[in-house]
Amino acid sequence: MMSADLAVEVKGLSKSFQDVKAVKSADFQIQKGDIFSLLGPNGAGKSTTISMLSCLLEPTAGEAWVMGHSIRDQAPEVRKSIGVVPQEVALYPDLSARENLTFWGRMYGLRGVELSSRADEVLEVIGLTDRQGDAVETYSGGMKRRVNIGVALMHRPELIIMDEPTVGIDPQSRRHILDNVKALNQQGMTVLYTTHYMEEAEELSDHIAVMDRGEVIAYGTHDELVKIVGELDRIDLQISIPEAGMLEEWKAVQGVHQVSAENGTITLLVEDSNQVLPDLFRSASAGGARISSVDIQEPNLEAVFLHLTGRALRD
Amino acid sequence: MKWLMIATKDVKHAFSSVFSLVMSLGAPLLITGLLFFAFGSMDEGQGGVNFTPVDVLVVNLDTGAEHLEGFRAGEMLDSFLMGEDLEEVMKFTAGVSEQDARRGVESGEADLAVIIPENFTSAALTPGESASVVIYQDPALTVMPGILESLLQHFMDGFSGAKIAAGVTEQQFDARGFSADQELLRRVSQEYAGWLESSSHEREGQGGGPLVLEPSGEQQGGEGAVSGMIGPTMAGMTVFFLFFMAANSSQTIIKEDEEGTLARLFTTPTPRAVILVGKFLGVFLILIVQAVLLLASSRFLFGISWGNPGSVILTAAGNVLLAAGFGILLMSLIRSTRQTGPVLGGVLTVTGMLGGLFTTGIPDLPEFLDQARLIVPQGWAMQAWEVSLAGADPAAAAAGFLKMAALGAVMFAAGAVIFNRRFA
Repeated sequence: MMSADLAVEVKGLSKSFQDVKAVKSADFQIQKGDIFSLLGPNGAGKSTTISMLSCLLEPTAGEAWVMGHSIRDQAPEVRKSIGVVPQEVALYPDLSARENLTFWGRMYGLRGVELSSRADEVLEVIGLTDRQGDAVETYSGGMKRRVNIGVALMHRPELIIMDEPTVGIDPQSRRHILDNVKALNQQGMTVLYTTHYMEEAEELSDHIAVMDRGEVIAYGTHDELVKIVGELDRIDLQISIPEAGMLEEWKAVQGVHQVSAENGTITLLVEDSNQVLPDLFRSASAGGARISSVDIQEPNLEAVFLHLTGRALRD
Repeated sequence: MKWLMIATKDVKHAFSSVFSLVMSLGAPLLITGLLFFAFGSMDEGQGGVNFTPVDVLVVNLDTGAEHLEGFRAGEMLDSFLMGEDLEEVMKFTAGVSEQDARRGVESGEADLAVIIPENFTSAALTPGESASVVIYQDPALTVMPGILESLLQHFMDGFSGAKIAAGVTEQQFDARGFSADQELLRRVSQEYAGWLESSSHEREGQGGGPLVLEPSGEQQGGEGAVSGMIGPTMAGMTVFFLFFMAANSSQTIIKEDEEGTLARLFTTPTPRAVILVGKFLGVFLILIVQAVLLLASSRFLFGISWGNPGSVILTAAGNVLLAAGFGILLMSLIRSTRQTGPVLGGVLTVTGMLGGLFTTGIPDLPEFLDQARLIVPQGWAMQAWEVSLAGADPAAAAAGFLKMAALGAVMFAAGAVIFNRRFA
């Protein structure tokens, strides 16, 4: 039996398409009221996972519960409790924004005054009240994305599932969408958000599951995940003299854990870059060297993915 | 009632699209209209192509023949030309002399001139004699001189009977070893001329002239003549474009699948069966609206009498069911909208041709084609419309309806099963 404070519980969920295993025994939980991100590159299995959670695809193995309902046995109840925002804009382009919202609202069972007033509210939320009567086909890409989200909000779902809603749109619309996601969450809505943008997952998420090649390879809060690679900052430096002379000097600096050199760049793993950097500059100056560039990276999800898979997240 | 909302959305979409409007209503009416204006006319129900009448001077120099007292072929020709039958295309005026006629044409007072020679009667009825009727024409004219020449040739062919009668008499005498004298042969010609003249008067009395100019449109047979040609043509176009719209409307299922709206519908708490029923109902509604508009507008524009109202309703309903079933089955076999172009353009055209939709106006087609067309559903529909156009009562039309409905139901069921499996 699923815990009452869970919005989603996934156990051993798998999906195969003939010989291709798209999702391999995924396990994770989403707390009610959370923003939960599925992070991974294209082809990681994110969309297949949420297709199963939205009852579009039947799992090959495993089980999942959405708002307490089994996706295998209680699909109608699951569908009532979720709003799905597909990756591609799925609207009727010759209908206006309002007509689209009204049509989809009816498909969720809304009628009459409730339908009309909810359409007004959603138009306000997505910022398209002024252009509600225009055909969607006349909208910009970002505006279409906003209507695409609005449709999923019509029936006030407990869980909203968003499949890479910011792919291919301008920065302004992207910001609008991210702000909307936060606002919806603040109103109590649980959000399942898939993305391959590390920055979005970091900005939005309470919990993150990192997926690669059909598997959930890491799962936890942002801080829990970055601890996988430790809490050391990484500093990349370039200096004006052959680096060999400085390596031993810098290894001796307090707070430096590791020094290596490759292709003219010295890489240091340090406890706190703010404390270590002044010592590094003093040491270089004493040795007659001049530091020409410095790049500091705090532990992040990119490093986690790199650490776990040996590949960059955007590969 | 979610299925009704889905269907209503599709109907609204279909009739707000310029392409759909052109293909469902514009094209069938336009094609039939082109034929209607080519062979018929809306001008007070009069048939025929509208020409500006040309002025023709007729100079009758015929002096008759000694042995045919009182009979003058030139006068017959003259009265034929001056009659009412030709006044819509030619205005005939009597001229005095050949020079007078030439001058009239050269000065532009007349467009054409006909000179009937002095020995016209004698040459027309006496074996061995000949005469030439001369036509002068404005060189700029192209069509009318040819028409006039044909009319004159047609007229003079009527006199060849007299020559044949005299020739046959001479041969029969020769075969029996006798010699037919010229007086006898003249009497034979005279008898023939007398019969020809009296029979031409009888025909005039019945409202027709000695030579009959082929009338067209409603002059020939009233309203039935127009419907006789335009009705089947419009029926063929109606059947073709109903099948086209059925396939085109069913295509929206594939289009929605590609655009993601079908998958999105499947994420709502609406059963898949309800969604598919809504999509199928949309196809039926679109075809019903199209059929009603086509039948009503063709009745109004071309005066087509589709038949007994009960028969028309049955036939139209059967056609809609058949076309919808065919369209849904056809589209269920297609994987993507990229394949629909060849299907809509190729399959529907070929099956339409096999069904005889484009040969409705061609007379005397081989009889086996009537049966061969029944290998495609369009042939069934066309056959049903022919029954309705012929004025059959609803009981007779019901057979066609039942056949179409049954065939449509079978195809619909097959298409629905395929679609359901695909999206289950």
